[in-house]
Amino acid sequence: MKRQERLGSRLLIGLVFLFLYAPIVFLIVFSFNAGDSSAVWRGFSLHWYAELFQNRLIMESVYTTLLVSILATIISTIAGTFAAIGLYSLGRRKRDALLAVNNIPMMNADIVTGVSLCLFFVAFFQGWGGFAKWFNGVQSLVELPTRLHLGFTTMLLAHIAFNIPYVILNVAPKLRQMDRNLIDAAQDLGCTWMQAFWKVVVPEIKPGIVSGALIAFTMSIDDFVISYFTAGSSTSTLAMTIYGMTKRRITPEINAVSTLLFLSVLVLLLANNIREARLERRRELGAAPRRRPVPALLQNKWFHRGAAAVAACALAAVILFLHDATASRPVVNVCSWGEYIDTDLIDQFEEETGIRVNYQTVDSNETLYSLLKSGGADYDVIVPSDYMIALLIAEDMLEPLDYQKIPNFAKIGDRFKYLSYDPDNLYTVPYTWGTLGIIYNTAMVEKEIASWRDIYSDDYAGQVLLINNSRDALGEALLCLGYSVNTTDEGEIRAAYELLADATRRGVFQGKVMDEVFQTMEGGNAAIATYYAGDYLTMLENNEDLAFVIPEEGSNWFVDAMCVLKDAPHYEEAHQWIDFMASTEASLANMDFIWYASPNEEALAAYPAYYEELYEEPLDQELYEIMATPPEVLERCEVYEYLPPETRTLYNDLWIKLGI
Amino acid sequence: MNKRGLFAVPYVIWMGLFVVAPILIMLVYAFSTAGGGFTLDNFLGMGDYLSVFGRSFYLALIATLVCLLIGYPMSYWMAREGARFQKVAMLLIMLPMWMNFLLRTYSWMSILENNGLINQFFRAIGLLDALGVDHIQMIRTPGAVVLGMVYNYLPFMILPIYSVIVKLDRSLLEAAADLGASAGQVFRKVILPLSLPGVVSGVTMVFVPSVSTFAISRLLGGGTQMMLGDLIEQQFLGGAYDPQLGAAISMVMMAIVVVCMTVMNHFGEGEEQAVML
Repeated sequence: MKRQERLGSRLLIGLVFLFLYAPIVFLIVFSFNAGDSSAVWRGFSLHWYAELFQNRLIMESVYTTLLVSILATIISTIAGTFAAIGLYSLGRRKRDALLAVNNIPMMNADIVTGVSLCLFFVAFFQGWGGFAKWFNGVQSLVELPTRLHLGFTTMLLAHIAFNIPYVILNVAPKLRQMDRNLIDAAQDLGCTWMQAFWKVVVPEIKPGIVSGALIAFTMSIDDFVISYFTAGSSTSTLAMTIYGMTKRRITPEINAVSTLLFLSVLVLLLANNIREARLERRRELGAAPRRRPVPALLQNKWFHRGAAAVAACALAAVILFLHDATASRPVVNVCSWGEYIDTDLIDQFEEETGIRVNYQTVDSNETLYSLLKSGGADYDVIVPSDYMIALLIAEDMLEPLDYQKIPNFAKIGDRFKYLSYDPDNLYTVPYTWGTLGIIYNTAMVEKEIASWRDIYSDDYAGQVLLINNSRDALGEALLCLGYSVNTTDEGEIRAAYELLADATRRGVFQGKVMDEVFQTMEGGNAAIATYYAGDYLTMLENNEDLAFVIPEEGSNWFVDAMCVLKDAPHYEEAHQWIDFMASTEASLANMDFIWYASPNEEALAAYPAYYEELYEEPLDQELYEIMATPPEVLERCEVYEYLPPETRTLYNDLWIKLGI
Repeated sequence: MNKRGLFAVPYVIWMGLFVVAPILIMLVYAFSTAGGGFTLDNFLGMGDYLSVFGRSFYLALIATLVCLLIGYPMSYWMAREGARFQKVAMLLIMLPMWMNFLLRTYSWMSILENNGLINQFFRAIGLLDALGVDHIQMIRTPGAVVLGMVYNYLPFMILPIYSVIVKLDRSLLEAAADLGASAGQVFRKVILPLSLPGVVSGVTMVFVPSVSTFAISRLLGGGTQMMLGDLIEQQFLGGAYDPQLGAAISMVMMAIVVVCMTVMNHFGEGEEQAVML
């Protein structure tokens, strides 16, 4: 090859590697950032590595990821190998037909595999529920659980299902290459079939098994989509945790954990490469490969059987341990929004009560509703917003609360009780309240924003972020047009849609965001967004140029309240959690952390003093009023009410239409 | 059936349960109403989403072509290097797959943002001032989504093509040259046809995940580039809860992909998939 040509090709190969590795290097560099931004460098620090080991959410998801990958790899390698052997002893016709089916999971898009498995599990659970009820009715010896949920087991089954085909695909060619007479020869020489299998077949196909296992493991580790659809809500792999975080802000701990994982793989691969290189050199030198004598013990068949039994027990122990860790201690499964709690409170609650808190987050009321409907969730406590609570009550999905067990309910202000979504206050204990408003960057927007009209005008085309849920986005447009946010008039709603669609066509919106708004607004990547008052205060900590306004047309004020789901398995623990969160101490700590106002009047009144004591400076009255909106401003605001099914369908249809 | 054939029985049952049954259930969902009755509405109403289908296939096609344009020459050049070089290069291509793809995609977000690394760089060298703009919009554009796909799935293109080219019998190339073929002719008449199976499986492995992605379009498209994956996800775990419609869209997508792949495989002369690794 000509030298110049080779130089050119190497240069291009190098460019491709630069492309592949630039984001990774970027990520690793920012794991050492002193600040918590992923774009602004604030000096070197190992801070995030220390934090990492304190972060339970991340550590648990790393553990789940490794456990599911290892178990799935072991099981699918064994099952796949035997399946391949079985397939290869069938006739050609049958084998080809079965191999075609075997290829389906590999050819299908991940999302199709994930969705179909999800539907399959949910259908199975429904059937199981009926069977278990009948079975428990006819006998009383064994009590079968009547409610099953998506979780670790379903995710593991899904991983095995998509791994086996890869194992078969790798083992099959080795089987084809193997001389079939070898097995007959071994048996003629007096081997039993089992002996022939271990001494002849396995060594022959070993490279296929190893590469099959390796691919299975890689696929499991890298998988996101299939886990996302089959793991339900209570288990989360690292990928799912990251996906949840990308919506808000990826904490640099994630960079740190990825750096560690990446480096350990790198070290393993390098070590392996060096070892191979050394072996090769030895071979080149002509030294005969040393053969270690096999100890007699290893040849004893009872030893083999014993080892197999020990391995099986170990596997069972791991599974039992996992089951134990999740089931035996009292647990409460809580689902809330992202960064919506001072996480120290979780630890405090666990210490005080011995109850393990399984804390999950979703990003919108609509997502929560889908999760509940699809049977993917096994939450006890949820914290939906007003209008969603009304819907859940209407669909009989909530359990009435026992207020005797929630003494702190008395401290909740009367103005937050008996609201339209729960008129008799049977189901809810308010958690936070606040307003929706416009957030803008004063460095990018010269005039003072005062009206919803400004977010649809051409003045800031390409600089506006639309909120990514139908109720808020259409609600804002309704307000802008002077209609009520609770209108059921189709004409009014369509007019609001036209306002949004027209602005979309004119290129006003840079994108539709929910929690991505933090990162985007803090970084000055967009000028205007609409979001919640409490979140504005969090953003303000990272970008002083941001301003918040409740437009003159009025806005939405909301209450998010804690509720218990129908038939929640941990009813008692759920009440303890709700009472704990409603207490004045927890409310104060929470307010200070999330900047959303608490409905606990005692805490609300005490907050300025609490702040002054903590930070040794007075709380800015203006900020306090953004958090705890004064009554005269609240008067301009409406609470979202329950919408009838036709209106909800209209909202959904228009919303999807806007997106496409 | 002989004794070993019995090993196939558990797997046949397994496949029936976890491969065939889920797809059948999805089929049932696609033809039912929320109440459980039979309907064709889920398919008839799909015309509304034509633009989503169009965008998905269009963006996935571009991403696949870009991957092919980068991946083929790359595999070809790699195969001509020494054994050591090849080994290290393969390792470097596999390695990123061990860092979750969401994380790598997220990293692109901070690079492409309006105040991200690239815009900061352009600003520093005065390019933005020269153009008289505040920033170049890169994130939340179709281009960003294609970039995300190419970045994530390029290894899936390189690996199968490389594994086919590297196994080519050198004596064939020498024979062609001996018989008077120019370098270009050797490539066109020998190497290219023999590497087609690798190309086919590479195209499949890039196209299928690209057309169905939802994480990449969500992160880099910023909600403005709705793709089939997003649409399906929305029906199952997103705002518009309608699993029946979601199942129907999945079925249609699956059907189109199967047809595309069958046509593709026709060109690859039905060679079995090149195994990666």
